[in-house]
Amino acid sequence: MTEDSQRNFRSVYYEKVGFRGVEEKKSLEILLKDDCLDIEKLCTFSQRFPLPSMYRALVWKVLLGILPPHHESHAQVMMYRKEQYSDVLHALEVIRFISDATPQVEVYLYMHRLESGKLPRSPSFALEPEDEVFLAIAKAMEEMVEDSIDCYWLTRCFVNQLNNKYRDFLPQLPKAFEQYLNLEDSRLLRHLKTSSAVSKLPYDLWFKRCFAGCLPESSLQRVWDKVISGSCKILVFVAVEILLTFKIKVMALNGAEKITKFLENIPQDSSDAIVSKAIDLWHKHCGTPVHSA
Amino acid sequence: MAQQANIGELLSMLDSPMLSVRDDVTAVFKENLNSDRGPMLVNTLVDYYLETNSQPVLHILTTLQEPHDKVDTDAIVLTTGALVLVTVLPMIPQSGKQHLRDFFDIFGRLSSWCLKKPGHVTEIYLVHLHASVYALFHRLYGMYPCNFVSFLRSHYSMKENLETFEEVVKPMMEHVRIHPELVTGSKDHELDPRRWKRLETHDVVIECAKISLDPTEASYEDGYSVSHQISARFPHRSADVTASSYVDTQNSYGNATSTPHSTSRLMLLNTPGQLPQTLSSLSTRLLTEPPQATLWSPSVVCGMTTPPTSPGNVPPDLSHPYSKVFGTAGRKGTPLGTPATSPPPAPPCHSDDYVHISLPQAMATAPKKEERTDSARPCLHRQHHLPNDRGLEELPGSKGSVALSDLPGFLGGLASEEDSIEKDKEEAAISKELSEITTADAEPLAPRGGFDSPFYRDSLPGCPRKTHSAVSSAQGTGANPEPLNSALDRLGPDTPKQAFTPIDLPCGGAEESPAGDRERQASLESSILTPSPFKIPPQRGVGFGGGQPPPYDHLFEVALPKTARHFVSKKTEGLLKKAKGNTEEDFMPSASPMEVLDRLIQQGADAHSKELNRLSLPSKSVDWTHFGGSAPSDETRALRNQLLLLHDQLLYERFKRQQHALRNRRLLRKVTRAAALEEHNAAMKDQLKLQEKDIQIWKVSLQKEQARYSQLQEQRDTVVTQLHSQIRQLQHDREEFYNQSQELQTKLEDCRNMIAELRIELKKANSKVCHTELLLSQVSQKLSNSESVQQQMEFLNRQLLVLGEVNELYLEQLQNKHSDTTKEVEMMKTAYRKELEKNRSHVLQQNQRLDTAQKRILELESHLAKKDHLLLEQKKYLEDVKLQARGQLQAAESRYEAQKRITQVFELEILDLYGRLEKDGLLKKLEEEKTEAAEAAEERLDCCRDGCSDSVTGHNNEEASGPNGETKPPRPGGARGGSGSRGGGGGSSSSSSGGSELSTPEKPPNPRVGPCSSRWETAVGEPTTGIPMTVGSLPSSKSFLGMKARELFRNKSESQCDEDSLTSSSLSETLKTELGKDSGVEAKPPLNLDGPQPPPPKPDSVGQLRIMDYNEAQHEHS
Repeated sequence: MTEDSQRNFRSVYYEKVGFRGVEEKKSLEILLKDDCLDIEKLCTFSQRFPLPSMYRALVWKVLLGILPPHHESHAQVMMYRKEQYSDVLHALEVIRFISDATPQVEVYLYMHRLESGKLPRSPSFALEPEDEVFLAIAKAMEEMVEDSIDCYWLTRCFVNQLNNKYRDFLPQLPKAFEQYLNLEDSRLLRHLKTSSAVSKLPYDLWFKRCFAGCLPESSLQRVWDKVISGSCKILVFVAVEILLTFKIKVMALNGAEKITKFLENIPQDSSDAIVSKAIDLWHKHCGTPVHSA
Repeated sequence: MAQQANIGELLSMLDSPMLSVRDDVTAVFKENLNSDRGPMLVNTLVDYYLETNSQPVLHILTTLQEPHDKVDTDAIVLTTGALVLVTVLPMIPQSGKQHLRDFFDIFGRLSSWCLKKPGHVTEIYLVHLHASVYALFHRLYGMYPCNFVSFLRSHYSMKENLETFEEVVKPMMEHVRIHPELVTGSKDHELDPRRWKRLETHDVVIECAKISLDPTEASYEDGYSVSHQISARFPHRSADVTASSYVDTQNSYGNATSTPHSTSRLMLLNTPGQLPQTLSSLSTRLLTEPPQATLWSPSVVCGMTTPPTSPGNVPPDLSHPYSKVFGTAGRKGTPLGTPATSPPPAPPCHSDDYVHISLPQAMATAPKKEERTDSARPCLHRQHHLPNDRGLEELPGSKGSVALSDLPGFLGGLASEEDSIEKDKEEAAISKELSEITTADAEPLAPRGGFDSPFYRDSLPGCPRKTHSAVSSAQGTGANPEPLNSALDRLGPDTPKQAFTPIDLPCGGAEESPAGDRERQASLESSILTPSPFKIPPQRGVGFGGGQPPPYDHLFEVALPKTARHFVSKKTEGLLKKAKGNTEEDFMPSASPMEVLDRLIQQGADAHSKELNRLSLPSKSVDWTHFGGSAPSDETRALRNQLLLLHDQLLYERFKRQQHALRNRRLLRKVTRAAALEEHNAAMKDQLKLQEKDIQIWKVSLQKEQARYSQLQEQRDTVVTQLHSQIRQLQHDREEFYNQSQELQTKLEDCRNMIAELRIELKKANSKVCHTELLLSQVSQKLSNSESVQQQMEFLNRQLLVLGEVNELYLEQLQNKHSDTTKEVEMMKTAYRKELEKNRSHVLQQNQRLDTAQKRILELESHLAKKDHLLLEQKKYLEDVKLQARGQLQAAESRYEAQKRITQVFELEILDLYGRLEKDGLLKKLEEEKTEAAEAAEERLDCCRDGCSDSVTGHNNEEASGPNGETKPPRPGGARGGSGSRGGGGGSSSSSSGGSELSTPEKPPNPRVGPCSSRWETAVGEPTTGIPMTVGSLPSSKSFLGMKARELFRNKSESQCDEDSLTSSSLSETLKTELGKDSGVEAKPPLNLDGPQPPPPKPDSVGQLRIMDYNEAQHEHS
């Protein structure tokens, strides 16, 4: 890497001592310094290391295409986005689809539907499953991003990515989940199978909503880093790790419904560890992503 | 008595199980002890403890305090204590070390005690005490030299102790060598338990003896041979004193050897029993004591030895046989003790030797006795045997200075003991005199003794004292040795260990050491009453006491000529006096306490005998049964104490003897082992010899075999040589044959070659013939050819001739015309030259130009490269910019999309509102305007169709331009959705947009058309994708379009639209709802490709377009 020369000579020791991210932040800054951002490099970086929170929004926006790679046009593009947001919002207001009382998340949903031309005739329409996915993701995103414009755009593009880029992968994830769970702990899988809970696991929550509402946002954003940078397989490992972490409890439960219920409402205190372990597991099974360029 | 009883009770209570009672009684005792200073209570306690082993009493005794634990001034107790300590110390070298300080203190106090003589202690006791202190000194110095020396250093560095040191300790130190431990060891090392672990008690005793220079104590072995010299030197010191007496003894010896020799020979008949007995005693001594120890003890007993320690004094011829005697005696002793090693040698020869030596010595001693008898005449009867004894004692003393100090001391001990016994029976006067003698160290007037001699012992049982005769004594001696011998014989086969015990038994355990001897002497007196003296226990002997004149004096009378005796006695008397004085004055400090004690005993014995002589025998015998009866009590006590002291000494000596015995046992074991090994060696040697013999036999056979082998070898060699010669001959033959065959072969080959050559020659000849034939034909041909050539030549010659003539003719003509041509040639040459130069310069010019052109080309090329580079950069930049612009454009486009969506929504909303507005009015005019509305709807539809077709074409154009302009997203919806309002953006679509603009304004003012247009709008807005495609593939025609539209509607709303096409308002309503339903639920009907679904990608639309095309075509065809 070109920035090797600029790297701190202490970097080797940082990792030994356990300080992660000191060097990563620096290298990310170096990456972001370029006039034209290298999307591939950013993806690789995001896959390999956790993103510093101060750059997370920017990197996500660039990766999701909300912002172009060129720094110069960022301001202008952002202005467009903002105008677009306000226009849509305004339109919704004009047609009295939303009011001030409408929850922000629903506003995002209507905006999204409007933009995709699927706005229903009246606000009191029945929510479809994908709408609920959108709402969950938007809710999580709202926690992560402060600005509502950013939030809307990120949510929208994230959902679009899920619907477009990962459309073919997502249905295969449960299979992969079973496979990796078998590798890690075949006994647990056997238990799940005997209690016929395998098919009833909350796959929707895990893979369609990308754990939105399942994990706390602080840990969730680390998972989404990987998802946004192009790997939806991490979701499988997070799920596997959840099962491994709560193995004893899951083993104790017998009914498929109980297991599902428990997994839908897992305790949040160990989520950080789960995510870290899941990322390790992911690196272990899929290898550490290397910049291919 | 009452108190006594009380104490008894208390003592019994002391052992009561009640703890409180015990404590109380203990307290009472302690109180009593504190208040009462008398020893009575303590003594009672001790007695009680000895009886019952009561622990509480022991406890009380151990916690005794002043004044009961103060130092006893009783010399007897002290002496006993010191001796016990000396005895016990080697047994507890390790556990005793923590009391080392106490031991040293004891020594310090006792030594000072010796000097200060507190109280009224008599000199005799002091001498005993001194001896015991001396023993203690030896023991302590021998065992703990470093600690002891450091103690001495510290203790006697004090001024108040200096005197003690000078007087008591220093003389003691003269009798010890430097202990090696002082050099190599240390204080701690001495106390190291490992040091003591290796040593047994007797080892420790011997260790202590080793460092002693005192011949009475010293041990001369294990590399301490120097001590021989020392001990030899020691006598030298006193040699000046004893020189004359020694000479006397020499003389006497000479006498004895010359004259009494024959008598001794005669005496052999009389004393066969004595000799074995002496031998046996000697042997027992040798067994029990180390040879060094026998220096004096056997001599004392036998009265025949000269100490080997003074070889210088003994003439060599004498010392030789003497040592031989020792050797034989020793050998005799060991066989007796250890018969397993070798059978006892034949006694006659040895005994013969022994007699030779021992008898002369016995004779040599005799004169002394005579001398003594001279000095003490009063009782002739006694004189006879007493001097004899005296002489026995005196002789070694005169012979060697060591003997002087030791032997008399030894005998003196005996004497004093006897004295103490006998004195009890004597009157006070005698005791007074005795005390005088002891204190004043009076010279022994009456030589006494003889009790200790074996002869005396032997003769005792047999003969009555008065009537003993030579015959009877001979009988007695003859009778006695037999049992002894038999006993010895019996003992013979026994193990060395048992060798001691049987002697122990007959002698009452008192014959093992000098002390034992001494005790035995004491017992002898009482042994008169018993049939066998050996069986009398020494204790009884002590108890009985009483001495009888030895009955064997007559023996000496017979054995020793009076003249010699007289001469010697005279000489020795004077010398002895001198010596006494000397020893008393000069020699005393260097003499060891042992010697002093010995001397004291000896003197006591002398005094006793003197006193005894005064007494009538019967009266003595009367008094024997008890003692202390008539004598004054203090005297009696003194005597008793002396007896006790002697008993102590005896026990101590016995202890030493036991230790020596133990040691001897070990040494014997070693000897046995050595002998066994020797035998083993001999056996091995025999075996070796046998094997050597075997080896020789084998060697002989080997030589034989070798000879046979060489013979065979020779035979074989001859055969081999024969065979070799045969082989050689055959080979020679073979070579000859070979040569012959080769010759023949060469001949054969020659022949073959010749044949081949001949054949070749034949072939050559044949070929030659052929060749010549060919040549012949050729030659004939050539011949014909040459003939024709000749003909031609002839013809040509003719022609030549003709031409020559012609040439001559032309030459003539040429000579005529030759003159004008040269000038012209020169002119031409110059012209050419000029032209050449011109051309050259031109070339030069051209070259230069070429160079410049090339340079220019290079320059331009570099420029070109730069330009290319620049161009590349520009391109890159352009790409970058393009990318940037594209990003922005995308954003803008998405914004635009959003805007479009917004407008759509708005429009939808507006339309919805319109719909609601018109709903009321329409309901009213429904009936009237039904037909009108239908017409208007038709018109509207047509209009829309126009616009629509235009927009579709525009859309198509746009689609066509799609692949070219990739920046445009492939969104047909853009054209589709905006067909009404904003159009495709293409130039061709401007008119359509105008059209659509025309149509849109039309919508609002024409409410009647509204429903229909709205219906169309929906149809256009949503399902445009379907219609343009179907239409786009075919040339637009209104009627067709209309038909299509209708078809579409029919498809969607089935026949509803067809049937109720005029009921537009309701239709529009239904359409709307249906559309909503379609968009929401089913996006699948083949032609229903409307909006809610995300715009399908372009290839799909194209595919559908084609399908439609095909379908249409099919439809048309059909």
